[in-house]
Amino acid sequence: MAEREYRRLTRAKNRSLFALVSASRSSLWLGKDHVLQIDSSGYTESYKRFHFRDIQALAMCATQTWLYLAVVFAALASLFALVAIVGGGPVVGGIFGGIAGVFALCLIFDLIAGPTAKCYLRTAVQTETLFSIKRLRAARRVFEALRPLIRNAQGELKADSQPANVQDQPIPPIILEVPRPSAEPSAKASTSAPGKEQS
Amino acid sequence: MSTPVECPGCKAPLAEHLLNQIELVACTACGGKVRVDVYPAFFRSVTPGKSGEILVVESESSCFFHPQKKAILPCEGCGRFLCALCDCELHGQHFCPACLQAGQKKGKIKRLEQERTLYDSVALSLAVYPLLIFYFTIITAPLSLILAIRFWNAPRSIIHRTKARFVIAMVIASAELIGWAVGIYFIATHWKSHG
Repeated sequence: MAEREYRRLTRAKNRSLFALVSASRSSLWLGKDHVLQIDSSGYTESYKRFHFRDIQALAMCATQTWLYLAVVFAALASLFALVAIVGGGPVVGGIFGGIAGVFALCLIFDLIAGPTAKCYLRTAVQTETLFSIKRLRAARRVFEALRPLIRNAQGELKADSQPANVQDQPIPPIILEVPRPSAEPSAKASTSAPGKEQS
Repeated sequence: MSTPVECPGCKAPLAEHLLNQIELVACTACGGKVRVDVYPAFFRSVTPGKSGEILVVESESSCFFHPQKKAILPCEGCGRFLCALCDCELHGQHFCPACLQAGQKKGKIKRLEQERTLYDSVALSLAVYPLLIFYFTIITAPLSLILAIRFWNAPRSIIHRTKARFVIAMVIASAELIGWAVGIYFIATHWKSHG
């Protein structure tokens, strides 16, 4: 069997969170040297490729949407459950109880999926919203999957790459963790990490 | 360095000490929880484009598009000599602008392909959705069959996708056509026997 060119990073998700019936869906795929975003309308697909060497930043932002959704689902489930209880009759009770059950299931799925997030990918010429990443957990998983690939393509982030105004500040932990290149390790460490000396 | 990284929530520039943190940190402007991973490309300065070297010796090969400029390499699509200005590098391959444009339009350069039509999904939809109002299938079933046969070998989705949709569409469309044929036959024989 031929090797597949792309590996799935995220499942296809609606471009809008509240879209109940939306044909436009977005998904992320991992290629050999790039991330592929597929926006599908059902009958056509458009592709955006983000090469590892061009990715400047990945950003995620926690949102409160999951809480709003949980409140809406809980309210609807309670409402229909109430109608099922006080409505009288097994048929009405069964129908409204079933609808309440569906909303209760949605509530459970929403709570299990966890906090929602918005993610962005930045290159030199654009900042693209990653619509297929809607939950914080998925965002973390994708970021961790991409991090080594981008670093392989671009090299490690050096402390002296920081702009002048942050030279005096403590270096973020992730930069301190980066292993130094084998050549002249001690000299580089002393010249490129002034924040370390201060701390 | 490029323009500063903005908070995804409030679009305010993020302080550098908030970048490259493993956990979510609070944006100093809006207080929203953010995490921004910055990579070396962020600090890379943009290299200016080359304009091409002027031809000084007449015997030297010149660019096809700019005869007064020195050719540096041939286009891998058409073989024309190109100067530094006309050289469009695409992942190690060098093309002239015309070949690049043609490659994108005709889908010859896969990496430049930006859109595909999913004929298998179209054929399947034509076979399935009109079943809700069965009368439409007399038109849509043959259309679905024609689409499936015409685009059997056309490129499908860029990600791995089988021809299952085509097969299912052909089976359903054929069944619909057989249904119509049987129905018309029965109506015709029934009408004949009573007429």
